[in-house]
Amino acid sequence: MKWFRDTGWRHLVAVLAVIFSLGPILFVLSAALNPLGTLSSSTLVPSGASLDNFTRLLSGTSFPHWFLNSVMIAGLASLTSIFLSALAAFAFSRRRFTGRRTGLLFLLLIQMFPQFLAVVALFLIFSEITDLWPGIGFNTWWGMILLYLGGALGVNTWLMKGFFDTVPKELDESATVDGASHTGIFFRILLPLVSPIIAVAGLLAFIGTINEFLLANLFLRDGASKTLAVGLYGLVQGSDRNTNFGMFCAGTLLTAIPTVGVFLYLQRYIVEGLSAGAVKG
Amino acid sequence: MTTLLEGPATRALPAPDEKSASALGQGIKIVLLGLVVAIAVWAAFPLVQAEYWAGLGLLVAATAGLLYLYLTPRHVPAKYLVPGTIFLVVFQIFPVLYTASTAFTNFGDGHRGSKAEAITAIQTASVTRVPGSTEYQLKIITKGDALAFLITDPKSGQVSIGDATGLKPVGENPPTGWTVLTAGQASARSREITDFAVPTSTGAIRSSGLSRAYEGKAVRAFDPASDSIRDTATGKVWKADDAIGAFVAEDGDRLAQGWKVGVGLANFTRVITDDTIASSFLGTLIWDFVFAIGSTGGTFLLGMCCAIALQSTRMRFRGLYRILMVLPYAMPSFAMLLVWRDMFNTDFGLINNVLGIHVDWLGTPITAQLAVLLVQLWLGYPYMFLVTTGALQAIPAELTDATKVDGAGPFQAFRAIKLPLLLVALTPLLISSFAFNFNNFNAIYLTTEGGPFPADNPNAGATDLLITYTYRLAFGGSGAQYGFAAAISIFIFLIVAVVSTVSFRRTRAQEEVYS
Amino acid sequence: MRIRTAGVIAASLLCLVGAAACGDSTETPSSTPSADKAGGELVIWADDKRSAALKPFADKFGQENGVTVKIQAISKDQQTTFLTASQQGSGPDVMVGAHDWIGNLVQNGAIDPVQLTDAQKTGLQAGALKAVTFNGQTYGVPYATENLGLIRNTELAPAAPATMEDLVAQGKKLVAAKKASEILCLQSGPTGDAYHAYPLYASAGGYLFGTTSSGDYDAKDLGVGKPGSVAAFEKLRSLGEKGDGALKRSITPDNAVATFTGKKCAFLVSGPWATADAKKAGIAYDISAVPPFAGGKEATPFLGVQTFYVAAKGKSKALAQEFVTNYVTTPELAVALYQADPRPPALTTALDQVKATDPDVAKWADAGKNALPLPAIPEMAAIWEPFGKAEAAVIGGADAKATVDAAAKTISAAITK
Repeated sequence: MKWFRDTGWRHLVAVLAVIFSLGPILFVLSAALNPLGTLSSSTLVPSGASLDNFTRLLSGTSFPHWFLNSVMIAGLASLTSIFLSALAAFAFSRRRFTGRRTGLLFLLLIQMFPQFLAVVALFLIFSEITDLWPGIGFNTWWGMILLYLGGALGVNTWLMKGFFDTVPKELDESATVDGASHTGIFFRILLPLVSPIIAVAGLLAFIGTINEFLLANLFLRDGASKTLAVGLYGLVQGSDRNTNFGMFCAGTLLTAIPTVGVFLYLQRYIVEGLSAGAVKG
Repeated sequence: MTTLLEGPATRALPAPDEKSASALGQGIKIVLLGLVVAIAVWAAFPLVQAEYWAGLGLLVAATAGLLYLYLTPRHVPAKYLVPGTIFLVVFQIFPVLYTASTAFTNFGDGHRGSKAEAITAIQTASVTRVPGSTEYQLKIITKGDALAFLITDPKSGQVSIGDATGLKPVGENPPTGWTVLTAGQASARSREITDFAVPTSTGAIRSSGLSRAYEGKAVRAFDPASDSIRDTATGKVWKADDAIGAFVAEDGDRLAQGWKVGVGLANFTRVITDDTIASSFLGTLIWDFVFAIGSTGGTFLLGMCCAIALQSTRMRFRGLYRILMVLPYAMPSFAMLLVWRDMFNTDFGLINNVLGIHVDWLGTPITAQLAVLLVQLWLGYPYMFLVTTGALQAIPAELTDATKVDGAGPFQAFRAIKLPLLLVALTPLLISSFAFNFNNFNAIYLTTEGGPFPADNPNAGATDLLITYTYRLAFGGSGAQYGFAAAISIFIFLIVAVVSTVSFRRTRAQEEVYS
Repeated sequence: MRIRTAGVIAASLLCLVGAAACGDSTETPSSTPSADKAGGELVIWADDKRSAALKPFADKFGQENGVTVKIQAISKDQQTTFLTASQQGSGPDVMVGAHDWIGNLVQNGAIDPVQLTDAQKTGLQAGALKAVTFNGQTYGVPYATENLGLIRNTELAPAAPATMEDLVAQGKKLVAAKKASEILCLQSGPTGDAYHAYPLYASAGGYLFGTTSSGDYDAKDLGVGKPGSVAAFEKLRSLGEKGDGALKRSITPDNAVATFTGKKCAFLVSGPWATADAKKAGIAYDISAVPPFAGGKEATPFLGVQTFYVAAKGKSKALAQEFVTNYVTTPELAVALYQADPRPPALTTALDQVKATDPDVAKWADAGKNALPLPAIPEMAAIWEPFGKAEAAVIGGADAKATVDAAAKTISAAITK
């Protein structure tokens, strides 16, 4: 009984959550393995098992391109965006300046405007950019990354600001007395202390970018410049939905690989961040 | 702009290790500022070439501003805020302002462009082939900068040069002094070629592609004096009406090609006076709140439970559990929304089949609402799980250890110590999650499309959010009405903004506890 | 001088993005000016499947003419994306899409008429040519047609049903004998599907828009809400969940074809795209026209026509016109596009050529011989959703009159806005 109170219940909660999480994913897996996989299969057990869908996906489409594009765009955009939002969060949390709270509120409100309406204006901007600097316009990684950086100061700034707030201010004050500059405080004191949340925010930004569909669909139109989300969506467009559903599911599963990879890499920061940071504090 | 940590008063002598760091920092800084300048120069060339002097001025000003900002010891907060803000202004604030400004126009299908564009479109659309006229073969030829059509009549074999003055028969093919353009060369002068017309007695010879020409006649012409379009065949006249942005005939007939004009507050009054909006607005608004709060609260509770459960360092398989829990979030959400939709199918869906029941999940209001909330829970709890895990890790262990010494139970310890800290860190996030879900278009559109709909009202469904409802009103009719959509969006925006601002004000107290 | 590494690094990241872009574009300047001088560029937009099929032909056209041809795929909302991009000056030169876009594209000045020769016109199927004609102008070059038909599993149902009642009776027998689980696979989904319901609606006496004296659709004469439409919805209701159970909201675009290929239902109302799945699943099938109700009108499906458009605001319009009017109209291309996606070609010569090798094509053409072109007037956009929802409601057993009236009210409000 003591075991249950200490750890047993933890396993119970975790197992239930995992079952909940995996249900639909097993369905996708079964469709990916089923050579006749369709969206309507109502069982979790595939009627046949083969890697047909995977080979068709890898050889018959530009999947490897999509994969590379996705990882590069999401990787670069999320790294940069985390850095930008950490900078801003530092200013919002540690500095007192006029317009600080208004600025924060503004950051929240600007996110609430429906994106599908803003598409017209984004086209306007990028048509100009493509004419002037084709290297950062439509159908390029850089254009896409620039666009995603527009959202860098969004939710993540809020998230990180909340965590910077939990770090006692006395820490910075004593560091200042010791002669640290504001950059020193930011890089050497705050960042290590909140590294778990930096890692989490990085992961969230990565996932958000790699799964982004609306804008990528409009901006990446060359077959080889597409991202996974756009390319896969194209497979199940219109009348092809049934024919390609197995391939689509295979692609969906493969899409999770970079994300899981990033998660595995960041996990140690998420879990060990505490011990690393707290010692210095 | 003065801050506590800024200025010479708080500056102390750098510690020795700070010194070496500062030398390195200085080097990095010089390199990077150099890069800024290099990029500005790179970006300037196309601007100069295109003679965009305003753009060039902006570029120079922005570069100078950046150099100043990072070379002066002042304006510390700005140093941290400016990099992200630049992107924010260009890719978020400008589009939002632009969109909001369309709320005061009739921008939408049939009214997308300018009046000049509408006139061009009307004239082009009215060019018809002169009945019984010859279909010519065409080559595009040049002499110096001059462009001309080399036209061959397939019946007689007669070759002629056509230019703005008319057709002139020539003997040789191609005529001396003229060069025939290849498709690629001709395509570079596309606009000239498509606008080129060789006048004839019954109309004009125009190109149809690069290898054929036909004799056609523009039936409709614009008359600037009377500001109207006249049909030369029927004599009918459509007068420009700049209030609605369309050419209207006396009998009320309107030409399809219109243009964008300002309509003042017409879109806003339409939102307020529209019957369909009035009749279903309140119900939709309430459900929207339920949905946003339910999604945010549900995912947060489940995510937090899981994060707490996986807190114990003594627990085995933690890494595995974490990965499996994060998986739903790693899948492309649009794909999973489609999968869920099919799992809820009455006759073929996985849920009914596994449970052995026959529930029309998406067919009755309550079950459909439960279904979308369940889908939201599935999609969103890994996010909250990750964030809470990060938050719990960031809480210093000494705090929890302290309560253990006090002899408090784990639950009391959690409530007294961790939960308040968690909420400080996460309240802003919960507010923004609420705001996101309030406008979560895909969650509804890809699952229920807002349904089920009452049989007698196809406008508002039981799971409609304001945003999906807006979308249907503005884009479901005969063509997209961006102006109207922007007006409704502004109303929705005001609602969310008020709610968020009020909740945000309440976080001030929490924030100051730790400041 | 104090260091402000943080800020500097931030600024640098901004630069790095730019610098990388700079590096990326070092190749572009060298290629762009020469492309401007010697070889133009033709940009074609299509959906994913068609862009793959077009690729070899576009390349061939490019080689023959010394130009670069770029095929780009838009996966979602092709029409809106095309309109927005065109308006902002970043649209394609040629757009591939369905013919029912024409009304909206024309009112936005997004496409130019094409001038086909008399020979080219007579080479096209009459229905296809009529579909791309709008206000007396030809607005695009059709290359393939599609219409609904009845696909049946010949093992389960050897003879084609003559009437809808006959079909329901046969289907019921198969369900009773446990040879099938559904009477009919006609996709509806929870929000209905006006396109697939239309043949039944037409057979029971309903219509969407009347026609003017010139044969064009007349937006002022809305058929939804008229007595004929109420009677038609009454028929749909009697086939629905509270009636025969032949129409069900649980049969969706996602599972209709799969249920048929899974041998769970003998009859499928679908189009040429479904036959690929049936072949893959090894089903013995046959294609016939959608059967009418006994004593009713013919169950005419809609005719959809895949079309090449010349964008009015394209940068290489002359080249685009050359491609669309003089290259797309060749039978070789039509046959190749058919091989990529088996829909009957719009060119008569290509159709005859294909018919010789693929009996299905003739059957599809036969099933659609009286098909009506899908209305291309912009007002049609107001029909789809309310009509579909009304269909789903009556299939679920709602009162036909009240439902149709509500739909008609919504539609006419949207049309006269």
